[in-house]
Amino acid sequence: MEINNINETEKNFDEDAKSVKDITSLEEVRVKYLGKKGFIADIMSKFREVPQELKKEFGQKVNALKSKIENSIEEIKLNLAKKQIEFEIKNTRMFDYSLPVDTNTGSLNPRTIIQKQVVDIFKNMGFVVEDGNEIETEYNNFESVNVPKNHPARDLQDTFWLSNGELLKTQTSAAQNRILRTYGPVCKVIFPGRVFRNEALDARHENTFFQLEGVVVGENVTVANLIYFEKAMLKALFKKDIEVRLRPGFFPFTEPSYEMDAKCPFCSGKGCHTCGNSGWLELCPCGMIHPNVLKMGGIDPEKYNGFAFGLGFDRLVMIRTNLDDIRYLNSNNLKVMSQFKTRM
Amino acid sequence: MKISINWINDYVDLSGIEPDELIKRFNLSTAEIEDVEYKGKNIQNVVFGKVIKVENHPNSDHLHILSVDVSSEVLQIVCGAPNVREGMVTAVCLTGGSVLAGKIKPTKLAGVESNGMCCSEAELGIGSDDDGIMDILEPVTIGQNIKEVWPVDDIVLEIDNKSITNRPDLWGHYGIAREFSAIFNRPLKQMPVCDLSKYNNLNQISISIETENCYRYSAISVDNISVKKSPRDMAIRLNYSGMRDINLLADLTNYVMLDLGLPMHAFDNKIVNGIRVCEADGNISMTTLEGEAHTPPKGATLICDINGDPVAIAGIKGGLKSGISDETNSVLFEAAVFDSENVRKTSRAIGLITDSSQRYEKSLDPELTFQALSRIVYLLNNIDNDIRVSSSLSDSYNKKYPQIVIDLKPEFISKIVGCEISKEFVIKTLKALEFGVEEDGEILKVTVPTFRATKDVSIKEDLVEEVARLYGYDNIEPKPLAFDVEPQKVIQSIEYEYDTKFLLAEKYGANEIHSYLWNYEDFNKQNKIETKSYVSLLDSSNAGQSGIRSELIPTLLRCLDENKNSFENIRVFEIGRVCSGLDSENMCIENKKLAIVFASQKKSEFELFTELKTAIIDIAKNIMGIDVYLEKGETVPYLHPVNSFRVISRTADYGYMGVLHPEVKKSIDKRFNVVALEIDYEKLANTIAYTKKIKSVSKYQSVNIDYNLLVPLEMTYEELQKALYKFKSKILVGYSLVDIYENAQSLKDKKSVTLRFQLCSNDHTLSGEEIEKFRSDFVEYTTKNKLELRG
Repeated sequence: MEINNINETEKNFDEDAKSVKDITSLEEVRVKYLGKKGFIADIMSKFREVPQELKKEFGQKVNALKSKIENSIEEIKLNLAKKQIEFEIKNTRMFDYSLPVDTNTGSLNPRTIIQKQVVDIFKNMGFVVEDGNEIETEYNNFESVNVPKNHPARDLQDTFWLSNGELLKTQTSAAQNRILRTYGPVCKVIFPGRVFRNEALDARHENTFFQLEGVVVGENVTVANLIYFEKAMLKALFKKDIEVRLRPGFFPFTEPSYEMDAKCPFCSGKGCHTCGNSGWLELCPCGMIHPNVLKMGGIDPEKYNGFAFGLGFDRLVMIRTNLDDIRYLNSNNLKVMSQFKTRM
Repeated sequence: MKISINWINDYVDLSGIEPDELIKRFNLSTAEIEDVEYKGKNIQNVVFGKVIKVENHPNSDHLHILSVDVSSEVLQIVCGAPNVREGMVTAVCLTGGSVLAGKIKPTKLAGVESNGMCCSEAELGIGSDDDGIMDILEPVTIGQNIKEVWPVDDIVLEIDNKSITNRPDLWGHYGIAREFSAIFNRPLKQMPVCDLSKYNNLNQISISIETENCYRYSAISVDNISVKKSPRDMAIRLNYSGMRDINLLADLTNYVMLDLGLPMHAFDNKIVNGIRVCEADGNISMTTLEGEAHTPPKGATLICDINGDPVAIAGIKGGLKSGISDETNSVLFEAAVFDSENVRKTSRAIGLITDSSQRYEKSLDPELTFQALSRIVYLLNNIDNDIRVSSSLSDSYNKKYPQIVIDLKPEFISKIVGCEISKEFVIKTLKALEFGVEEDGEILKVTVPTFRATKDVSIKEDLVEEVARLYGYDNIEPKPLAFDVEPQKVIQSIEYEYDTKFLLAEKYGANEIHSYLWNYEDFNKQNKIETKSYVSLLDSSNAGQSGIRSELIPTLLRCLDENKNSFENIRVFEIGRVCSGLDSENMCIENKKLAIVFASQKKSEFELFTELKTAIIDIAKNIMGIDVYLEKGETVPYLHPVNSFRVISRTADYGYMGVLHPEVKKSIDKRFNVVALEIDYEKLANTIAYTKKIKSVSKYQSVNIDYNLLVPLEMTYEELQKALYKFKSKILVGYSLVDIYENAQSLKDKKSVTLRFQLCSNDHTLSGEEIEKFRSDFVEYTTKNKLELRG
């Protein structure tokens, strides 16, 4: 009779299992068969009443049924879970992956971004990077770089004079004397800085702009070295070989003086908007440091010499950023300036 | 300055050299050519024609129908010129030819056929007269192409004036010709002049120089001049060089100026027959040739007649009264050299910059005056055979430039340039540029020609430039500098500056601005921002922008103001220089400062304040390795008196930060909550950083216990820390702030501060008793110190 009961139970379970729809009804079935008061427990409780000779068979059958039910429930459970996931996936709404995001990145003045790149190039070339005051003495700005009193250059440069007799530096060269005294007579130094000229503003002229200047002093420095150096610098700056040409120029602080033109990297010299159709960019005034400037910097011009070079820094910034009006660089116009972010 | 190649060819034969080559070599060796004009290129098939008949046009009251003889045929041409008359010889552009305006085709004008065009000077580009068609008085052959007689074809180079400011010798064609001669190794011809020594027995013109600002004054007078108009070829050259032809005498002085670079002047000899060169007293007024009255400043140089009446402002402009008129037939020619600085100052003071003053500013060579006078008499005599020189060559040489001789070792040039340049090349080049060269053993004694000796060439480095530019910079092989393995000094504060800017932009979303060095006084006043200025610009083009800034926050607030209608959140910063005072010698004390302004319509002042405080602690700690914190103290009047604080470290005070003063805030824009910070950037960047130590971490489990402390609302965290300072426990690692809870109803004038205490031991797992012991110790401590524990 108990054996029959086992078979009966198995049949019942198979039917119950078929009707399971979800995890709740599965749990009900589990309790019904495997619970403390379930069928299996009930059958097991009758074990004592089973005659001795059938006990073995009975035991085996009950255990077999029990593990069948357990396995079956586990299988259904897995199936249900799988179905549940399929259901969830089916009911998932796709994100609007095209929504705009805000990285909340601020911005740097493009001068800062490009200055950092240029400064890194010079550091790689073994230069010290220096800094200088914006308010300077007349001596540092003019006398010490061989611009004597009454020199027309003092007029041309439209100096901003201050009420205490000092001035806003008109050229980064104002730092030359201090730098020669600090680092000379053998040195490689660059000094970017902000300079001031008292002139009317327009798209190409500012009264406040940036220059970058450098000096190389040593024994037996030559014009050939200067040309090599400028080519190397421009190559690093524009990331390609740049043809250069040297023309006679005139600056009181160098002798001989040159204008270094770079073949326009944007049109390869064919003539374009950037180079004003000339095919050349006038970027780097330079020359061999005037013996008077070395002397005033405490360096013996008979023993040492060197070259100095400038870089029209704001012009470079405008070329690299495509800004067509220099006045933006000093402006409070965040609509424009916030577009630059921090890398370029 | 415009240079005519035809004119240059008078002095050096450039035939066979392509214009592109001329331009390129001149650019690389001498000065920058900005523009090139090919004159006459568009003038084609223009011939001399004679108007034989003039008839009125049936359909027009100003047009005429002309019959024009051009030798091969008689053309019917409709013409609108008012000066047309029968018998007139003019320039005619045949159909198929062209003038400046374009091609000439057969056409109908007001219904009448017209085959060709009668031209004015301006239409041919050879003169400025456009009042009517050319009225050619000189003998010409009818039907001949004008280009066969007149030098219409020419190449005109425009030289960048800035590139020759240091070269007084290049302000005339002869000087430019000398350069071409040296560049292309072709001989330089002598300039034809008249030998004036034959007039030495004539009377001297009285010349007295009464100022240091005149180096030399030379003059000669000429009578019986009857020709009034310049010959055509001379007029064309003047026009091509950017001047207008006026009358023969004025044109001649201009021509010689463009020839030699020395400005000249012609006075009517009936009015001026003696010269005094004087200093102006600042009161005398003179009317110039243009009819404008000027009062030259005290110290300006004036040319006066014998009676002391001014007849010219020296080196700048002649006077009206003594000027050349149609009646003038007797002149006094002036060739003089004045002090460059004096001319420049006077020219700026009276606002009159002329072709003459521009040249005098360059320091002209006094040796040129005789050449200029010999040249002008030569030219005049060629044009007008009947002239009579009426004085001897008169001269007063007041100041001479010293002769400059430079000792040069030829190898010095190679040493500086960095490539081998032969002694022969050095000598040849210097001689081509008219330097005197004498060999003296190893040394060359180089005599600087007078036209280069006024300021341009004085030391051996100048000679390097002369030789190297003609050697050709493109012939110098670039060479690397000697290799150098010394590590370079790194200036930390400059590196930190970039790091700071990147951190502020990338992590705190702030925008960097570069603002001007001066205060905006109107803006500051209007918004009640009180800021000092220790020094000011003497000459600012903008009123109210002359005081040099001592702080950056006001300029950032101006940026906020300019952007307040475009953004809800504004975060800006600047690292910039200010003048923060004057030292004992009245010199500016300059500082590099960092200022940041955070403003928002959404965030509370406290939120913004916390963000700004985070930013500065971040910069100081993570870039410079310095712990900074805030302390109550005096700040600036435009910050909130309660919520503004000093930014300090253990060793220094760097500046301040805080909420904007409510009055300033309301004035700028009440919608925005604003916080601002300003510190001495260099001081912070140069503070010695602590060495970072890594804390050892226990391998045993730690335990966290949270306590809520009920404290008075106004108690600061710093005060709470002080109250807890004396509590000691061996297993306490530290505590941190979790939350602050305020509730006016339930907590009234108190707030609940939740602190998380971390307990741990380095050598064992904590036991229950140890933790219990901590709890009871802490409760006991709080009770004793009147700290209320909640919940």
